[in-house]
Amino acid sequence: MNILETKGLYHDFDKLEVLFDVNLKVKRGERHAIIGPNGAGKTTLFNVITGTYKPSRGAVFFKGKDVTGSKPHRMVRLGMGRSFQITSTFSRLTAFQNIRMGVLSRRGIRFNFFRKVDMMENITKETDEILKRINLHGERDMPASTLSYGKHRSLEISMALATDPDVVMLDEPTAGMSKDETRYAIELIRRLTEGKTAVIIEHDMDVVFSLADRITVLHLGEILASGPPDKIRENQAVKDAYLGETEG
Amino acid sequence: MMNRTVKRIIWWGVMLLALILYPWLFGIYYTNVFVTFAIFALYAVSYNLLLGFTGLFSFGHAMFFGAGAYATALALAHIEGCPLLVALLFGFLGAAVLALLLTPIVARLAHSAFAMLHLAFSMLMYTLALKLRGITGGEDGIGGFPIPPFHIPGVVSVDMTDPLNFYYFAIAVLGGSLWIAWFLTKTPFGQIIVSVRDNDKRVDYLGFRVPQTKAVIYVLACGFAGIAGSVYAMFQNLISAAALSIAHSFSPIVMTMVGGVASFFGPIWGAAIFAVIEELTTRYTERVQLVEGLILIIVVLFFPGGFMHMFWLVKAKWLGFTKGKGFGVIKEKLFAKRSEKKATEDDS
Repeated sequence: MNILETKGLYHDFDKLEVLFDVNLKVKRGERHAIIGPNGAGKTTLFNVITGTYKPSRGAVFFKGKDVTGSKPHRMVRLGMGRSFQITSTFSRLTAFQNIRMGVLSRRGIRFNFFRKVDMMENITKETDEILKRINLHGERDMPASTLSYGKHRSLEISMALATDPDVVMLDEPTAGMSKDETRYAIELIRRLTEGKTAVIIEHDMDVVFSLADRITVLHLGEILASGPPDKIRENQAVKDAYLGETEG
Repeated sequence: MMNRTVKRIIWWGVMLLALILYPWLFGIYYTNVFVTFAIFALYAVSYNLLLGFTGLFSFGHAMFFGAGAYATALALAHIEGCPLLVALLFGFLGAAVLALLLTPIVARLAHSAFAMLHLAFSMLMYTLALKLRGITGGEDGIGGFPIPPFHIPGVVSVDMTDPLNFYYFAIAVLGGSLWIAWFLTKTPFGQIIVSVRDNDKRVDYLGFRVPQTKAVIYVLACGFAGIAGSVYAMFQNLISAAALSIAHSFSPIVMTMVGGVASFFGPIWGAAIFAVIEELTTRYTERVQLVEGLILIIVVLFFPGGFMHMFWLVKAKWLGFTKGKGFGVIKEKLFAKRSEKKATEDDS
């Protein structure tokens, strides 16, 4: 059963075709990596799936429902989380407050005017537990913008997971990280996405082959190949378009 | 825990006692100065709910103050025996309904578009107040309407034309409104609006509706401005188009800037500072705004965080609060990277 599926997805920016008949299939419970050279349309595909853009043609199915063109907040409520390539946290709020926003959302606490949020003990408890799990408890009360880059990225990734989504879309989670930070981030992602479905855009081939159950290669807006890591590694078309360049 | 509660009760008790004794200690003239200050404090705080908390910069907040003031004045002038609290309610509703009518447009805007559209709307309201003489009295405004007593049938009836009684009424209404506004910023909703300020796209991606959130805080903030306007109209027993002018839209901006945009209490301090300055300078010169402008320039150049920032600086220096709360956090609040805004506008 595919939890997430796109059917004949097209998208263009002012007639510039960016996605070309994309049929992505993501199975429930797998870690699915999307790779491809710069400008392949990976982030656009994410944006179309998560509701930033409406596709010019085609459809997106999430949990069997047609969700084409649904707004981001709708997708989140249906059980999709997303992190961004460029860190996108609430810079002036503390790490704790950042994560708490996700917890509040999951509990459906939105237009609540009658209780102090600091007094909601189970929200605080749950948020603290998440902070401990992602090793940010020492930085609990620091504004997000003062965190080190690696920690800030951890926060970025964890916010996508704080709403406890069924499918989490991670857009280059290790972007800009050092080797050590990358290794740590991979462990974090592995731990946090346990039992969930994850779709990950990634450039680092080590990350991709160590983390992903299945890989989809996007090239010039089209899917070049899709399958388990071993098959992708041996695929001639992929080698020509992409892997050959980086491994050489 | 017990200690904190006791401290809080004592603090509130002292505050309350000071407010009750104030007219007896300072006389009726300074009592009226204080009422004016309190009106502007609520007005500035209502503005800062938009600017400091939600990141919405408006050049036309006076139209909501004016809407509240005119609604109250019209109700008192035309409705026979309109009770005091009903007139106040009219003030709140006048501003809130005007805000509600504007939300379909403004809730989708931000930054300069939001600011300039408010400038346009407030100019429109100003012109309407001048031209619709039959309703608003034009430049003369509406004045001399009856101020009803505070009346609870069979319990109490207090004459509101007495300045002392009006002081207690105004302080109760304005203080109560300030407390509600403060509480609002502490609720989960208060947390969502500051998140919208920091990064509205991420708020969307966490499952909250941004335009609706903006609409709710907008209507509430404008309603508070309406209450300030309503009390102002009753206090002056006169309301004219000047309350809708550009200058009047700028005063909460300036007060917020001078007091400190990053804090709930900043605008209250700003209103207090300006009340004192006005009081002192009018003794020597009529050019009050010259002095106020100078102070604004000094603050913007040297203390961009305003009075509250200075307060925390001093506290940090002398009392050693350098970590965690206060200045450290505020400094972050003020100088946080602006680039975050662009962060999510990514493309492949």
